[in-house]
Amino acid sequence: MGEFKVHRVRFFDYMPTAIRAMAFNSRTERLALARADGALEIFNFADNYFQEKVIPGQDGRAVEALCWVGQRLFSAGLNGEITEYDLENLRPRYTVEAYGGPIWTISSNSQGTLLAVGCEDGTVKMFEILEERIQFQRNLDRQKGRIISLSWHPSGTLIAAGMMDMIRIFDAETGRATHRLLVERGVGASKSKEVVVWSIVFLSDHTIVSGDSAGKVQIWDGVTGTLVRTQLVTKWDVLALSVSNDESSLVAGTSEGTVVQFQFISSTVGQQDKEWVRTRTFKNHSHDVRALAHTETAVVSGGMDTQLVVRPLLDKVEKNTQESALRKMTLPHRSLVCCAKKAGLLLFQFPDHLELWRLGESDGHGKPGDSLPVKRKPEKLIQLKRKGEDHICCSALSPCGGWLAYSTVTSFRLYRLQNNNISITKVSKLPKDLRSAHQLCFSPDSSKLFASSSHSSVIVVALNQPECKYLHTLKPKSGSRQPVHLLFASEDGKWLATANTDCEIHVYNLDKLKLHCTVPVYSSCPTAIAIHPTTSNLVAVHADQQIFEFSLVQKEYTEWSRKLQKQGLHSLWLERDTPITHVAFNPQNPAHIILHDTFMFCIIDQSLPLPEAKTPFYNQMTLRSLPEPQRIIHSHAFKICKNFQVPLY
Amino acid sequence: MAKKQRGKSASSSKTADIKQQTDHFSLMLESSDDEAPEEVTFEDSKAEALRSMKQALDTARREKEQLKEKRRKRQELFQEQKKRKLLPADVLEEIDSAPSQTQKQCQEDAEEEEQEAEEDEQRKKKRKRSGKLAHARNLKGNYTVQTAKERESASFQQQAAEDFLQSRMYGPGSCRTTSNELLSLQNKTGRNKSAAVQFVKKDWACNEKAKAEKLKKRWVHKQQIPSC
Repeated sequence: MGEFKVHRVRFFDYMPTAIRAMAFNSRTERLALARADGALEIFNFADNYFQEKVIPGQDGRAVEALCWVGQRLFSAGLNGEITEYDLENLRPRYTVEAYGGPIWTISSNSQGTLLAVGCEDGTVKMFEILEERIQFQRNLDRQKGRIISLSWHPSGTLIAAGMMDMIRIFDAETGRATHRLLVERGVGASKSKEVVVWSIVFLSDHTIVSGDSAGKVQIWDGVTGTLVRTQLVTKWDVLALSVSNDESSLVAGTSEGTVVQFQFISSTVGQQDKEWVRTRTFKNHSHDVRALAHTETAVVSGGMDTQLVVRPLLDKVEKNTQESALRKMTLPHRSLVCCAKKAGLLLFQFPDHLELWRLGESDGHGKPGDSLPVKRKPEKLIQLKRKGEDHICCSALSPCGGWLAYSTVTSFRLYRLQNNNISITKVSKLPKDLRSAHQLCFSPDSSKLFASSSHSSVIVVALNQPECKYLHTLKPKSGSRQPVHLLFASEDGKWLATANTDCEIHVYNLDKLKLHCTVPVYSSCPTAIAIHPTTSNLVAVHADQQIFEFSLVQKEYTEWSRKLQKQGLHSLWLERDTPITHVAFNPQNPAHIILHDTFMFCIIDQSLPLPEAKTPFYNQMTLRSLPEPQRIIHSHAFKICKNFQVPLY
Repeated sequence: MAKKQRGKSASSSKTADIKQQTDHFSLMLESSDDEAPEEVTFEDSKAEALRSMKQALDTARREKEQLKEKRRKRQELFQEQKKRKLLPADVLEEIDSAPSQTQKQCQEDAEEEEQEAEEDEQRKKKRKRSGKLAHARNLKGNYTVQTAKERESASFQQQAAEDFLQSRMYGPGSCRTTSNELLSLQNKTGRNKSAAVQFVKKDWACNEKAKAEKLKKRWVHKQQIPSC
C-alpha cells in the first residue's frame, strides 16, 4: 500500500478568458492586463512575473483599452465609460460616462495631464486628470467615422487617430484636424470592405506607424502627411502595435498569432540613414494577438488564446540564462479550489458561480502507482450562482463542510449547509463591517471566519448557528495600504498568518486577538503560507521560489531554514517559472512539507539532507531503481513528482 | 468624401464593364436575347443608398421614442405606487437637503438587489423623489433636477459597436476555421494518423434520441402488460 491515496480530480472545468488589452508601467514595472470578462490583473515584472493583484470583472464592463497615468490605472470600454481603479482595495474607484457612445481607445499624454478617448461617434474627447478624478475638458473636431485608435506625440501637442480608411492628425491645443492620411484598402475581395486602422503609434520624430485590417504596417511622415513605407506583414489583420521607450524597436501583433518586430537600423553598418526594417517574427500564440507591450528587454503579448507570453529579446539580455527564457503565464497564481478536509468536499470558484462537489470513494488496495477502482463517483452537490453584476472575488468552505462564504467587490454572502450538505440557506444578518473581502478563510474548528478587508486588516467573525457575530478587526502595525492576499489559520486555532502584496507577513494570536509577530520582510512577494500543525512553524514560499521556515514560538527562523538559506536552493528549483500556490503538511509524518505549482508537486522531507548544487535534482525515477543502501546516499529532501498534469490544488 | 469618390469610380467602372461584356456576348452568340441588361445609373443607386440610410436612422429614432414612452409610463406607475407610501413632510425635507450626488448614487444602487432592510426604505424614498423631480421641472426652492440614467439608447450603440467588432473579426471574409478543423487536420497529416477530432458527434439529434428512448420504454412496457 502506497503512502497516500490521491484523489485525481478532473472535473474542474476552469475556463480562462481571452486577453483584450494590456498596459505596461515602466517606472513601477507592473503590467496591467484586461480580460474579455472585464477582469483586471496586475503582474509584477520585477518579482518573477508574479500575478500580484486580480480585480474581478463585472457583467456590463467590456474593457477595450487600458492606460497608466503614473500610478493610476484607467480603462475604457464599449459601455461608454472611463473607469479608474483603486489598486489598494482592488475595485473600481469611480466611472465617468464619456457620452460619446462606446469608447474604443484611451491614451494619456506623456506629461500625465490629459487623457484622450476615441469614441464611436467620431469625437476625440479630452479629459483633464485631476487629483481624485478626471474632468471633461473639450471635444476635438468631430469626424465622420469611429475613432479606433489614438496616439499622442511625445511632446503632447499632436494626436494621431486611426479611423476607418484614414488616419487623422489633430492639433491638441486648437482641436483642429490638420492632416488626413488615406489608408489603402486591401487587394482582391477585401477591396470592398473598409480598412480599419486598428492601432497607431506616434514617434517623436513625427513618424506615424499604423497597423490596419488589410495586414499592412505603414510608416508615414506626420509633418507632410505622406506615406513613407508599406510593409505587408500578414494576409489578415494587424491588431496591435507597441513601440519601445527608446523608439528603436516596434512590434506588431497579427490575427495569425504572430508578432513581428521592426527595428530602426541602417541597412549598412556605419551609415546614418536609418529606416524601419522588419527583423524577427515570433509565433508564440495559436490565436489572435490583441494586446502588446514592449518593455526594455522583452516583448509581452497576449490574445485570444488566453496566455500571456513574455519573450525576452536576445539583443537585450544574455543568451541562455534564465532571464532570456520564454515565459508563458497560463493559469492564475492563486488557488481557485477549496477543500473541506473532514467532510471530503471541494469548492470550485468560477467567476459567475460556485460548485460544491463531494469526492468519490474507493476502498481498494493496490501498489504505489496503481489507480484504485472508484466505489462511489464524485457528485456535484450544489451549484450556486452569484447575485448581481460583479464577479466572484474569493470564496471559502469551512473544514466541517457546514459553512460556505463568497465575496464580490460590493457584497459578501454567507451560507449554511445542512442535511448532509444538500440544502443551503443564506445567513441574512451579517455584521456591518463585513462588506466585501479580498480573501476568506475559515478556522479549522469552523467557529470563526477571517475576511481580509481594506488596508491589510482582517475582520474576525464568530460563527454561531445560525448567525454570525462580529468579533474583532486585526490590524498590522505597519499601516500598509496593500490588500492581504493570503490567509492561513493554524490547526490548533491559536494563530492566524496573513500576507499582503507589500511582501509583509503578519502573525496574529487568536486567543488574545492581537498581533503576535511580523516575519522579517523579504523582497519578494509571498505566494503561499502555512503553519505546521504540531511544531507551529510558519512556512512561506515566495515568488522568486525561496522557502523560509519561521518558528512562531521563538519568533525567529528555524535551524532548517537557516541551513537551507546557507546552502542555497538547487538551481533547477529556482529556475521553475510558476509560483508555488499551496503548502500543506502530512499528518502522518511531521517532517514532510507538501508543495505544488502548475507543473509538479513536491514533498520536502526535512529529515533528509538538502540537495547539493551538482547532484541531479529530479531523481525520483532513478532512486526507485537503486537498491536500498544506495538510495539513502542519493536521496535528498526535495522529492518531485510530475505525474499529474497541471495541479490546481 | 473619399468614400463617395471611391464608390463612384467603382460603380461606374462596374457598369462600363458589364456593358462591354454584354456587347461582346451579343456579338459572339447572336442570341435572340440582344437586349442589354438594365443599367442602373449612379443617381439611382445613390438615391437607394440614401433611402436605406434614412430608413435606418428613422427606425433608430422611432426605437428611441418608443423606449422613452415606455420609460415615461413606467415612471408614472411607480409614482402611483409610491403615493401610498408617502412619508411625513419633515422626513421628506430632510432628504431634500441631501446633495444631488448621493441621490444619483442611490439611484444606481437601487438597481442592485442586495441592500440592508433599513437602507432599502431610505433608497425607495429617494428614488421616488428623483422620479417625481425628473418630470416636475419646478425649479423653485431647493429642488434639483437630474436626468435619469439613459441606458436603453446607449445599449443600442454598444450593440452596434460589438456587432462591428464581431463582423470584422469573425464575420465573412475573415478566413477563420474552427479549432475542431485545425486539430482534425493535425491528426490526419501528423505522423500517427488518426481520426478527426469529435468524429462521432455525441450530441447530434439529442431530442430525437430522447424521444426514441421514451417510445422504446413505452413499447417494452406495453409488451410486458399482457404477459403479466
